[in-house]
Amino acid sequence: MSGTTINLERAETSRLAQAKPFFQKYGLYVFLVLLILIAVSTSPQFLAPRNIQNLLTEGAPLGMAALGQTFVILTAGLDLSVGSLMSSVAVIATSIAPDNVMILPIFLIAIAFGALVGFVNGWLVTKRKVSPFLATLATMIVLQGLRFAWTKGAPLSGHLPPGFRVLGTGTLLSIPVNLWALGFLILVFAIVLYRTTYGRKLYLVGGNPRAAFLSGIHADRVIIAAYMICAVLASIAGLFLVGYVGSVDNWVGKGYELDSIAAVMMGGASFKGGKGGIFGSLAGVLVLIVIYNLVLLLGFPIQTQLVVKGLVIILAASFYLTRGD
Amino acid sequence: MAETVLQVKSVTKHFPGVVALNQVDFNNYAGEIHALVGENGAGKSTLIKVIAGAYQPDGGEIIFGGQKTVWDSPHQSREAGISVIYQEFNLFPDLTVAENIFMGNEPLKAFRLIDYPKMIKESDELLSKFGICIEPLKKVKDLSVAEQQMVEIAKGMCNQTKLFILDEPTAGISDQEAETLFERLAVLKAEGVSVIYISHRLGEIFQIADRVTVLKDGNLVDTFDTKAIDKNTLVSKMVGRDLEDIYPPKGGEAGGEALSIKSLSVGHLVKDVSFSLRQGEILGLAGLVGSRRTELAHGLFGSLPITAGSYKLGGREVSATNPQASIRSGLGFLTEDRKNEGLVLGQSIEANITMPILAQFANNSLVDFKREKNFCQQEMDKYAIVAKSGEVLVNNLSGGNQQKVLFSRWVQACGGVLILDEPTRGVDVGAKVEIYKIIRDLAESGLAILLISSELQEVVGMCDRVVVMKEGRLAGELENDQISEESIMHLATLSRENFVCD
Repeated sequence: MSGTTINLERAETSRLAQAKPFFQKYGLYVFLVLLILIAVSTSPQFLAPRNIQNLLTEGAPLGMAALGQTFVILTAGLDLSVGSLMSSVAVIATSIAPDNVMILPIFLIAIAFGALVGFVNGWLVTKRKVSPFLATLATMIVLQGLRFAWTKGAPLSGHLPPGFRVLGTGTLLSIPVNLWALGFLILVFAIVLYRTTYGRKLYLVGGNPRAAFLSGIHADRVIIAAYMICAVLASIAGLFLVGYVGSVDNWVGKGYELDSIAAVMMGGASFKGGKGGIFGSLAGVLVLIVIYNLVLLLGFPIQTQLVVKGLVIILAASFYLTRGD
Repeated sequence: MAETVLQVKSVTKHFPGVVALNQVDFNNYAGEIHALVGENGAGKSTLIKVIAGAYQPDGGEIIFGGQKTVWDSPHQSREAGISVIYQEFNLFPDLTVAENIFMGNEPLKAFRLIDYPKMIKESDELLSKFGICIEPLKKVKDLSVAEQQMVEIAKGMCNQTKLFILDEPTAGISDQEAETLFERLAVLKAEGVSVIYISHRLGEIFQIADRVTVLKDGNLVDTFDTKAIDKNTLVSKMVGRDLEDIYPPKGGEAGGEALSIKSLSVGHLVKDVSFSLRQGEILGLAGLVGSRRTELAHGLFGSLPITAGSYKLGGREVSATNPQASIRSGLGFLTEDRKNEGLVLGQSIEANITMPILAQFANNSLVDFKREKNFCQQEMDKYAIVAKSGEVLVNNLSGGNQQKVLFSRWVQACGGVLILDEPTRGVDVGAKVEIYKIIRDLAESGLAILLISSELQEVVGMCDRVVVMKEGRLAGELENDQISEESIMHLATLSRENFVCD
């Protein structure tokens, strides 16, 4: 009887597909434009070059984190350790001699550290079959603990190499340095995702891990690599964040894990995997940072930011995202 | 004549582009077992769903218990006394048998608390009335498939069911369990309950059913008394054409040995299996559901561990421990579960075809999309895959076209030996004929094919040679004129009690 069932299901889906309104496909972009229109009409300062630059500079680390989070969510996983890793990398950077000569070594150490953390996450998820939520939650807590043990819980008294401030807040050809960096990373990882065999395998494994395995794809390796990409990008994001903030406490990356997940999900990904992409995720990031900016410009108390952010996520989810899609 | 419980009058149901049911008439008497047969896609499921209220008919009417009825939902038909037992049970695995039987119908005491002692006692009575020995406090997940089926029936009886609809109830259970089921159905029948029974196993239909209705392509062919029709006539009514038109002619020269298996064991599943397969040959691997044919294939393919024995591909010893190594050594495996183990439904035809051989379309890890696209276009033409372009998601293809995508994938990926596990499951007759032709052409081009199938007719029609498995072991081998549905069944069930031959 399954023949009939399949035919009927197909009929149902194609009817749905026809009825699926335009904004379910491009909903996020419509939403983003609407949000910007609201911002422009309620606050004249919004479009000021100075404000746009601030907004993007502030948003760049989230963009990097969301870029990495996209890879993990494509495998039907998620990475809760992103924020904790960012904080940890910031602490590491501050603990090394505050000399510009050290910038490159700091970057290399941070990337290696991120790769290690990502490997542990991916290993737990694939080889030990731990759920991604639990595995990365545990990593998050362990990193937090290590950080506390190292700093004794106090804000760090050390200093960053001065060059980091330039990375976080400086401009090159009147474009913020960290935006250049984000642009470069987007280019690299868009090629990885959309042009390489690895990117194709990532979508295949995310869409149906069993079928991918039975087609000779090493599903485990693909998933581990996704967690490593995510963690390395989080580490780089952590360095640019500490450069932007300038000082380090133990919580500098706090909230980035959930913000990046929210951005990726708003960008059309699915926790079932195999769906979504880099540009959707980046549009999701823009939505989040425009909201932040708007709350500031309108002079609302800073505390209302979270309320507005939550409401906007709810609105986006019910506006154009469909459940289980 | 007994009372008519259900009358379906010229019911029509359309889906976009498909007439699923075309003016179908059907009726069921009290105390009758009425079999419903037809090929995949004949409209059996749709008819059941219309009767049960899961679909609303576009035309015609349904009279149940003497009253014209329009169900808005399956819930209403259940309240009125129709129980459908699908292949996937509607039970809660973590609840007990008693809780499942009385689901939504629990005996209550003061403060709307559930009266557990009463519920358990009544469950026990209900079960023992049917001679079913199941402890009411057992959790449903700890029961066998056949026992769960019994719980479904008991649940239906608890809800005062007048009409039971069973959708392929014997597909997942042993013959012995099937016999028990038939005995219970006889009890229901004696109680005056009406049963609609869907099955592909014609033997059991002649054993238990009073009448049989044949559907084909959404149309009613006819309703017969089972005493007034024989099996061959029934088959030709179902298929609507002669068998010679379905299966391509056999023949072709078998070449050298392509696969030879020696005393292979896969855990406790497959024990000590040996056989060989030659180039250009279609070897059938037959057996009942649960005879571990699929597990043997997974062993060969490296997706289940081989625990003893060995096998050779093209004369070379293979020790593959994962699918990638097996593919490299020349093996292809088209799995039976297209949706879960075969396709990535949310991806394009192209991505699905090139899955195991993506590296061939890449330079330095960068995919050459143009080359991939051209290649897939050729493949789509070759296999007559109907779609606007290779970028269409496989989700949007019919079962037959999805299966052809998998053929394209595995013929490209395999280097000499192709295992096909139920390659025509869930595709319509037209696509079946195309797939049979593809399989025969592949064999003639020199590929060695191991065809696993539960459809005996298909095994008989397609295979040059057949090996039969039973409970994880090889039960025998058949060649040329020895191959018949009876001889295969004989080997597959040898020494089993309670098997009733056709």
